[in-house]
Amino acid sequence: MVELLPETVSDLIGIEGFAVEFLAAIVGAAIIGTIIMLQTALAGPWAKRKITAAFTDRISVNKFGPWGVGIIIPDSVRLLSKELIVPEGADRPAWDLAPLVIASSALLGFAVIPMGDLGPINFHLADPEVGLAFVFAIASIASIGLVMAGYSSNNKYSFLGGLRAVAQNLAYEIPLIIVGISVVIFAGSLQMSEIVAAQQQTLVELGPVAIPAWFAILNPFAFFLFLAANMAEVGRNPFDIPEAPTEIVAGFQTEYSSVYFVLIYLGEFIHIFLGGAIIATIFLGGPAGPILPGIVWFLIKIWAVFLLTQWLRSALPRVRIDQLIEIGWKQLLVLAFLNLFLTALIVGVLAA
Amino acid sequence: MLGVLKGMATTMKHALDGETFTVKYPAEEPEVSPRFRGVHKFSQERCIWCRQCEKVCPNDTIQIVMDDKRNGEQYNLHIGQCIYCRLCEEVCPVDAILLTQNFEFVGETKDELAFNKEELKNVPWYKDLDPLESREPDRSAWVGEGEGEVDYQ
Amino acid sequence: MSLEQPRPELDVGETPDGEVDYDELAELLGEYVLDRESHVNAEGFVIRPDDVVAVLDILKRDAGFDNLSCVTAQEYYDRYESIYHLKKYDDPTQELSVVVPTLRDEPVSQSAASVFDTANWHEREAYDLVGIEYEDHPDLRRILLPDTWQGHPLSLDYNQDQPQIVALREHADPMEHRSEVPDEQDTMFINIGPHHPATHGVLHLRTVLDGEQVIDVDPDLGYLHRCEEQMCQQSTYRHQIMPYPDRWDYISAGILNEWAYARAAESLADIDVPEYAQIIRTMSAEMCRIASHLLAVGTFALDIYGDFTAIFMYAITDREKVENLLEDLTGQRLMFNYLRLRGVAWDLPEPREEYFEKVREFCTYVPERLEEYHNLLSANELFQMRVIDTGILPPEVAKAYGCTGPVARGSGIDYDIRRDDPYGYYDELEWDVITDDGCDNFSRAFVRLEEIRQSARIIEQCVDLLEEWPEDEREIQSNVPRTLKPDADSEVYRTVEAAKGELGIYIRADGTDKPARFKIRSPAFCNLQSLEVMAEGEYVPDMVAALGSLDIVLGEVDR
Repeated sequence: MVELLPETVSDLIGIEGFAVEFLAAIVGAAIIGTIIMLQTALAGPWAKRKITAAFTDRISVNKFGPWGVGIIIPDSVRLLSKELIVPEGADRPAWDLAPLVIASSALLGFAVIPMGDLGPINFHLADPEVGLAFVFAIASIASIGLVMAGYSSNNKYSFLGGLRAVAQNLAYEIPLIIVGISVVIFAGSLQMSEIVAAQQQTLVELGPVAIPAWFAILNPFAFFLFLAANMAEVGRNPFDIPEAPTEIVAGFQTEYSSVYFVLIYLGEFIHIFLGGAIIATIFLGGPAGPILPGIVWFLIKIWAVFLLTQWLRSALPRVRIDQLIEIGWKQLLVLAFLNLFLTALIVGVLAA
Repeated sequence: MLGVLKGMATTMKHALDGETFTVKYPAEEPEVSPRFRGVHKFSQERCIWCRQCEKVCPNDTIQIVMDDKRNGEQYNLHIGQCIYCRLCEEVCPVDAILLTQNFEFVGETKDELAFNKEELKNVPWYKDLDPLESREPDRSAWVGEGEGEVDYQ
Repeated sequence: MSLEQPRPELDVGETPDGEVDYDELAELLGEYVLDRESHVNAEGFVIRPDDVVAVLDILKRDAGFDNLSCVTAQEYYDRYESIYHLKKYDDPTQELSVVVPTLRDEPVSQSAASVFDTANWHEREAYDLVGIEYEDHPDLRRILLPDTWQGHPLSLDYNQDQPQIVALREHADPMEHRSEVPDEQDTMFINIGPHHPATHGVLHLRTVLDGEQVIDVDPDLGYLHRCEEQMCQQSTYRHQIMPYPDRWDYISAGILNEWAYARAAESLADIDVPEYAQIIRTMSAEMCRIASHLLAVGTFALDIYGDFTAIFMYAITDREKVENLLEDLTGQRLMFNYLRLRGVAWDLPEPREEYFEKVREFCTYVPERLEEYHNLLSANELFQMRVIDTGILPPEVAKAYGCTGPVARGSGIDYDIRRDDPYGYYDELEWDVITDDGCDNFSRAFVRLEEIRQSARIIEQCVDLLEEWPEDEREIQSNVPRTLKPDADSEVYRTVEAAKGELGIYIRADGTDKPARFKIRSPAFCNLQSLEVMAEGEYVPDMVAALGSLDIVLGEVDR
């Protein structure tokens, strides 16, 4: 059992006691939070532009810093210095809390994700026995944030966006979790470290290359289902229905500006990364990979998922809300149950 | 599903070929074609004050003020409302007007874009353009006005 | 390519060789016809203002005039007049004008909206700008000007200097009562636009939703109204009008629009255009069509795919390439001002070979790129799921609303002015009219994509012709008087196939060098009217898609 990050920190401090443990936990959380925020800041203003530009034959940001990476600075100044406009008739506490809920719920999910090691440090905050359930529960709090934002903005477009967000999340949360359960059946545990450990055995040896028993390879069908459901969960094409700029302006975030907008904007990116982290953990062997340290592999995997979302955005149309619900309830849910049943059958047969 | 993959393959092909179509404006100035119609240049030395350009201008960009004896000639240009139709250049009998290749000019208010004939001598965007030198060889491609009643002056 | 569609039986008033027999039509109408006028394009029957419905109904039912192309209203010193320009979808060369004079003191005329749905908006515009009141009109209110406007700007006694600023206290929210939906209903009123990402400009849709379903949609126009008709009426035929058409459909369809004016004015003043100039016109017009259709497809993709789609950028990239060619030819990228009455402004740019090579290269490049667009759009199952069987516009409804262009052809109506009422050099070239029977959003996008291919074909043939044209016969303009003064009281209505459909110009001359009445029949204006049919009962995203597939340009709708 590898040491978790707070334990490493408290070991460094060298004193026992609840206060120290508490402090160590906070320091650990701050470290993880910083890593996530850093790469989100990179992904939001810069990588997204560069990736979209590559797909659309454009150059995109290139002035500020090498390859325009420095665009983060003018971007943040620009966004934060804008006036915070509060719409008349907004439902105040809810309207103010919504961006916080959206951003923090996504960030909180990373608490249980094993992010791999770098030398002696293991980037893993907590490893509860119900890790996977925790992640799903936390991630779906974001939809409460969306509804709060949509409902409290006193704007009909926001309202429609909020309603769409609920409908979409109901339709996709359930298949997502059921597909997740099939992984649990494989791994025999909800604990994240156990799930990762279960994927470390070698499936087959092809000469010098050892194919690991990642669940994505063991059960590509479940992987595909999970990817599709995850795209709806994070609200990106073809399922960016709650935002749908060409239909309902910007959906739930129409009325937000300045700091609140930044929070929502960051929250969405963190959510994409959280989706990537869940996929990496339960399907792609977590931080496992040759040569490079675990954390690097982990980052590569979640960035690959991020790249995929941007790729889909460039080529796929947004489906309609009724079509999405139909896909969710009538197709994906059925397939998810089928997958669960088959997995259970196979695992049962293998065990017998 | 195949169609979806085809679409995704198409965008990925564009991403990987590394070609870009946008230009690094203003670092690299885009080329404009020889016939491009940019900002209006007026050459006072050539002008014979026939007022044809004023008459043909569809939206009163050019305003000429003078009395019967051609005293107090004034040539006012409200470049902010020019629509770059090039009719003034086309009717000018002495090539005193040229729409240059330059399309970059700014003013903070509309008033800043109105010029009288003195101010027109040193507006920054004229650079060193000689009306006669540019536009070759295309100048000959223009066709003169038709026969019939001449209705100016 | 057959110019004439063989038809089993002839309508009343049609000669076997496809001409209109006005005497027979007059006989059919009997006592309704008070007088007969002769316009340059067709004859006009003068009728009483309370016979409009009866006459149009007979003409539509018995004589086959199923296309109310345009309604022109104007004021004379002694009377008001509405002219109904009728055509046939089968053969647009068969035209007839129905002239309805009304008293100056009491300008009331019967509405044609019960016979032709398209008359609804045309008559609202006539009421708005000229001030004729139409009896039994379903919804007679201002369309282009704000509700608070005083007077009718195109009427003769209108004071042009009168300020139109309405004090806030007088401006007691004119929308108040219209936007009210009774509380007990389970519906939501929502303003889509004028600042909305999907309205392609400043269009305002007053929409009533039930959940996500559109129950009622009422387009509110006029945010971009620039008095184009009036500006043209104050400009000289010879030079000053030509720059304005570029600004109607301003997204790169300039030369197509210029041609509409050129065609009307040339037939009014009886000017011949040299054949060489006609070929250049045809070539440049088709370049504009490609540019315009590319943008239409790109923005349609934007509506369906969301704002990170690559298709929009690819379409813009290709449009830039056409625009480079047009810039070399005309000197501008959008506001060409290239056509002149009697020809074109310049010959092809020197060196000609280089230009031909560039154009050829583009023409071979177009089919390659179309393959990509089909991969990204029409082959994509998710796209098909979104647009097939949404925004249905059945052919008979499309005809009733006067839809033309790709919108009509997407509803399976085989109607293209370029072929049916040939002008320019089109009848000498090999090309096809694309139609699709789907009647949905998909068909309209598909028709546009395939028309790009046909336009490239036309351009290629034009290049072949131009290349072989003998050097001493390259006449780009014929000789016309410097000041054009068409005969007083001559009237003409001519249409061309612009990017969005049938763009018509009506000109009445009064013997001076400026038109007395200049009326624009905007295709986007008529097409937009059918949005109501397409959107009702659909979801909001489908309404947005339908609007995108109509490909409106607000500059042309509002003029």
